[in-house]
Amino acid sequence: MPLLETQNLSYVYSENTPFRMVAIDDVNISIEKGELVGIIGHTGSGKSTLVQHLNGLLEPTSGKVLLNGEDISSSKAAKRAARFRVGLCFQYPEYQLFESTVRKDIAFGPHNMGLSAPEIEQRVNRAAAFVGLRPEHMEKSPFDLSGGEKRRVAIAGVMAMEPEILILDEPTAGLDPRGRDTILQMLLDYRKTTGNTVVIVSHSMDDVAQFADRVIVMNGGKVEFCGSVHEVFCRVEMLERVGLDVPQVTGILMELHKRGLPVRTDIYTVEACAEELARVALQRGNGV
Amino acid sequence: MTENILEFQNVSFRYEGSSEKEQLPLAVRDVSFSVKKGDFVAILGHNGSGKSTLAKLSNSILLPESGKVLVNGMDTADESLSYDIRRTVGVVFQNPDNQIVASVVEEDVAFGPENLGVPPEEIRKRVDNALKAVGMYEYRKHEPHKLSGGQKQRVAIAGMIAMLPECIVLDEPTAMLDPRGRKEVMDTILKLNREMGMTVVFITHFMEEAVRASRVIVMDNAEILMDGTPREVFRQADRVKAAGLDVPKPAELARALQKKGVPMPDDILTASEFTEYFLKRFGESNNATT
Amino acid sequence: MIKDITIGQYFPGNSVIHKLDPRGKLVLTFVYIILIFLCRNFAALGVMLLYLLAVVLLSRISLKMLAKSLKPILLIVLITSLLQILYNDDGRVLWEAGRFQLTTGGIFMAIFTAVRIAALVAASSMLTYTTSPTLLTDAIERLFSPLKAVHINVHSIAMMMTIALRFIPTLIDEVDKIMSAQKARGAQLDTGSILQRGKALVPVFIPLFVNSFTRAYDLAFAMECRCYRGGEGRTRLKVMKLRLRDYMAFLITALCIVAIAVSNYYLTAVI
Repeated sequence: MPLLETQNLSYVYSENTPFRMVAIDDVNISIEKGELVGIIGHTGSGKSTLVQHLNGLLEPTSGKVLLNGEDISSSKAAKRAARFRVGLCFQYPEYQLFESTVRKDIAFGPHNMGLSAPEIEQRVNRAAAFVGLRPEHMEKSPFDLSGGEKRRVAIAGVMAMEPEILILDEPTAGLDPRGRDTILQMLLDYRKTTGNTVVIVSHSMDDVAQFADRVIVMNGGKVEFCGSVHEVFCRVEMLERVGLDVPQVTGILMELHKRGLPVRTDIYTVEACAEELARVALQRGNGV
Repeated sequence: MTENILEFQNVSFRYEGSSEKEQLPLAVRDVSFSVKKGDFVAILGHNGSGKSTLAKLSNSILLPESGKVLVNGMDTADESLSYDIRRTVGVVFQNPDNQIVASVVEEDVAFGPENLGVPPEEIRKRVDNALKAVGMYEYRKHEPHKLSGGQKQRVAIAGMIAMLPECIVLDEPTAMLDPRGRKEVMDTILKLNREMGMTVVFITHFMEEAVRASRVIVMDNAEILMDGTPREVFRQADRVKAAGLDVPKPAELARALQKKGVPMPDDILTASEFTEYFLKRFGESNNATT
Repeated sequence: MIKDITIGQYFPGNSVIHKLDPRGKLVLTFVYIILIFLCRNFAALGVMLLYLLAVVLLSRISLKMLAKSLKPILLIVLITSLLQILYNDDGRVLWEAGRFQLTTGGIFMAIFTAVRIAALVAASSMLTYTTSPTLLTDAIERLFSPLKAVHINVHSIAMMMTIALRFIPTLIDEVDKIMSAQKARGAQLDTGSILQRGKALVPVFIPLFVNSFTRAYDLAFAMECRCYRGGEGRTRLKVMKLRLRDYMAFLITALCIVAIAVSNYYLTAVI
């Protein structure tokens, strides 16, 4: 049984008004325990609407979300439990930081769970360690931090609820390359240590390509494709159709292949691409 | 008048601390550069490198602690000139939501010319032209809050160019946008520079955007680290990476090949340069064998 | 959902009502509201309703949209009508229970009051539905510009209104996002006592205020960059000029005034 599963999930905004809009349409996905899943799609593909169903923030127009086989909206208690078992962290930390200190802000979630003070304390410290916040950060006001640090506090605030599944909506948007790499590395370490499931929602394949076990491609409110990173990158025409970038090195290999060079085109990292081209080049170079 | 529209001479600047005693480190330290008319300069740097402060220094929103900023020869420190300086150098900021004043697109674009006291018929012309230049003319009656991020940012740019500035400075205009919005904005800016001859200073942390400029200035630690054509700058991949920035993938690929003993030139920037070179160098024998 | 609020909303269009001079529209809306209160009987009120209906039809705003604007005041209308029914004992008695009497006079009054309030709200909604906020504030600025003589900065007030109207949708959107983010951390915003709910809103309001200050800073910089220096020497994209259609609107309103005067004079008053 998958850890989290959606069954024929659909959501319609502003039903019965002229502004009616189908945001997601008959979506069936399943996520296994311990997986790192990327959900990618451009703005308006329905990916953000989808993840807001997974912790019960939005009620489906039709269909179900099953957590461990149980419908999360079956009872009030199940609904509330889903909030904590499926942790969702939004894109902009500015929408959630509010406390006077970083420590208190991270404690907000655990506090809402009704945990004991020592338990909260422990969880806050664990979460802070995961995102690399040092003790001197903890007593600062979250509003005095840099953009990258704010984002780490926001993620820690969700991690501290110790959810079985951690979902992050655009965790790297607006960050510079260094900030982006730090956050991604941090999430990778978190998964390794805890064995928990992590879902990264992004409009950029670059974010998920290096680590994701599986990628779900969303387009027009539907699941367009679901498979390994490798399988997704090999479907260049699909990526182009749904408006996602093809990795540049894959593009180079495809162009070379088209122009008659016998190279593999199912490669998407610089290192692997260099190896492939070196093989061809040295072979050819010797032949001249 | 000088050929340089914008000139930074040994400029240093620091923000005020929250208390009297606290002195923050310099946000910009001894920075000198000048921008020629019609040029497209990208200022590249990671967050906190001081690059965004340069935007506010360029039109007297902030004044240097030491050194001088000259706009068409006018010193930004001279308060009586600030009006003329701001109509010469237009600045567009990161968050499009926070620069749009009016609730209808064309009324917002008209805001600048209205402040300049331009006659109504002339405002109409400028607004229409500006909206056409950024490809938002069909949206002139729309409400800004219903537009996408990229569209909003193009409206903000139109609001600037309707003031007919000679130079436009964009402070991370793509940082909050999705890939589609980034492309829209980037294409618009390139068009302004190439077709309308607008001088552009483009501040960003996205290397793939900086590559498209005619000159790249890399900021690190409040100082200028590198200054040159994209080719000259990205050839020094290690220094760029040390400044917390990305290097174009084709350049990275070329370097990885070099390390494996494959002779590749140092200055490859784009995918097409890479494929062309690679085919010329290693594709020949392919033709011979087939 | 808070997104359904329609206050101050504007529906762009090209109708003759949209094109009327905003100053004229503003004045006429005030006149209309005063006239509503001067109506003494159903005939006069009927004239005013016909006037409103004509405006709605001409503007091509759907009656559904207009009905939506009335939704928030439904409760007020019901309560006032109920009070009228309970405390008015004019006319024929229809039903009696202890001290309370249901009379024809009471029912007439209830209907009359309900229609009045509805017409009042509908008329002001029509003004905002068909006039862009910028034009509306422009009109206010121009109409009240004589107040400059007594050192009231009309331009700044109008500018503040423009900005407020511009940011209402943005802030509503932001409240939604903040609420989602806090709910995702287990905040309970819609259960518990009033005190608990009030406390639960702290995590929503603090980010909202902090972000609004950031926005205000940014906006101030952006306005300075666009050479904003207050009202002095500013010109406008849209020149306001009274045209034939505006004079027609004045004439029609004048006819309504006469009609109401006549019906108030010759017909028996309900109120």
